[in-house]
Amino acid sequence: MTNGLMPLLQLSDSQFPSGAFSHSFGFETYIQENVVIGTESFKQALIVFLKKQLIFNDGLACRLAYESIENGRPEDLLEIDHVLFATCVARETREGNRKMGERMAKLFMELYPSTDLSEYLSWIKEKEAYGHPSVVLAAVYHSLNIPKKVAVETFLFTNLSSLVQNAVRGIPIGQTDGQRILVDLQPIVEEAVQSIINLSSDDLGAGSLGLEIAQMHHERLNVRLFMS
Amino acid sequence: MSETGLLNLEVKNRNSRAMIHGYYEGAFKYTRPVRLDDDSLSVYLIHVGGGYVDGDTYGSTIKLEEGAELAVTSQASTKVYKSPSKPVEQRTTIQLGADSVLEYCLDPLILYKGAKFIQETTVEMEPNSSFVYSDIITPGWSEDGSNFQYDWVRNKLKVYQNGKLVLFDHLFLEPDDELEGVLQLEGHTHVGSFIIFHPKASRELGESLYESVIELYPHVRFGISDMEGGGIVVRILDNRTQTIEKVISHIHTFARKELLGKGEVSWRKY
Repeated sequence: MTNGLMPLLQLSDSQFPSGAFSHSFGFETYIQENVVIGTESFKQALIVFLKKQLIFNDGLACRLAYESIENGRPEDLLEIDHVLFATCVARETREGNRKMGERMAKLFMELYPSTDLSEYLSWIKEKEAYGHPSVVLAAVYHSLNIPKKVAVETFLFTNLSSLVQNAVRGIPIGQTDGQRILVDLQPIVEEAVQSIINLSSDDLGAGSLGLEIAQMHHERLNVRLFMS
Repeated sequence: MSETGLLNLEVKNRNSRAMIHGYYEGAFKYTRPVRLDDDSLSVYLIHVGGGYVDGDTYGSTIKLEEGAELAVTSQASTKVYKSPSKPVEQRTTIQLGADSVLEYCLDPLILYKGAKFIQETTVEMEPNSSFVYSDIITPGWSEDGSNFQYDWVRNKLKVYQNGKLVLFDHLFLEPDDELEGVLQLEGHTHVGSFIIFHPKASRELGESLYESVIELYPHVRFGISDMEGGGIVVRILDNRTQTIEKVISHIHTFARKELLGKGEVSWRKY
């Protein structure tokens, strides 16, 4: 076992084949509707996405899944998985998360196998679980002995980083502008980690209404760069 | 602890006639069953008193036995006032037996200054049962004319089919600088939701519903998508209750015609 830094760098790499490359999670709708038109409008939208969507959904799910494993209750992963699936009312985003979750679970079983991940993957194969990146990564972070707060911070940053990469291609914005957004976001990510630590499991799955509609609209866009 | 309002409603089919039993206590009441124009049976929920206040708790159960059909609405909007010490809580449990049909369409929920409101609705569906649901959440009028004087609202709707969670609509609104902005209410104040679970509520049906709504209401911000298990979810954002009510009424009529073989709903309350 290494000190965990190299695996963390590896699975946070924007070139890591998680599938996130193909999903805008509703942002493409905003681009086509001229709501997100450049660096500044994208950055604002990304901050709200972090504070209102990621915190209550994927981010909190990652923390709760990590704690379930930590407390020796891997069966709770099933409930988290079901809540993530059932709270996502836009089909493409729900399917996108499911496909990414299954793909990542298989990939990580090759790279960093663990008992908890193996169990989760078997639930996915038996269709007892749907599959979600938050749960998969929580299991992987835990098996690599990454501390919980570092795990949640890495998870949030990786999500934002892949959305920035997609914005560079999709809006488009400059590479440097994209990287500057990731610098500006760092203190907000730290606050978000603290918010997630303070939330309760009752908060899981609270949605962002405008974003939901944008994610639903994506199904009906004529020209699409992304699958959601 | 006693509830501020308690209501229990059961519908059975006896010799192909629907029989309604139930009771209520405190601030809750329901009307005697009313036959609508198309012969469907309806019940109106009533809150006796001015509105919901600090620390009120409300509990309802609605149970439809195998094959029973019922349409439920409220008689007026639900008004939630200041809740400085404890949020108002309202919990509703709905059990739908095999082949039963429940239409559950509530008047707007109006949240006034300082309101804190938790609403949790749980629906347990047995095979081939159908569930049609609508709600509207609005900020109450305020003296200084500003929107969003309420503290927060948490609205949870959980739908289970044969014990499996198929929809968890979780809405949490806590007014701040970002609530009216991008990804959130995007310049709107009112939120409408319409949900259909029916064995024939397919993706194709959702698509034709979208076409019919966009044709009539091209300027209304709404989204439609489909869930696994025969579900369609519609979300509407607007600044006027009347607009959302019109869209909801259109969708309801569409769902009744395409799925329930019924005509336009004609609530006896206006």
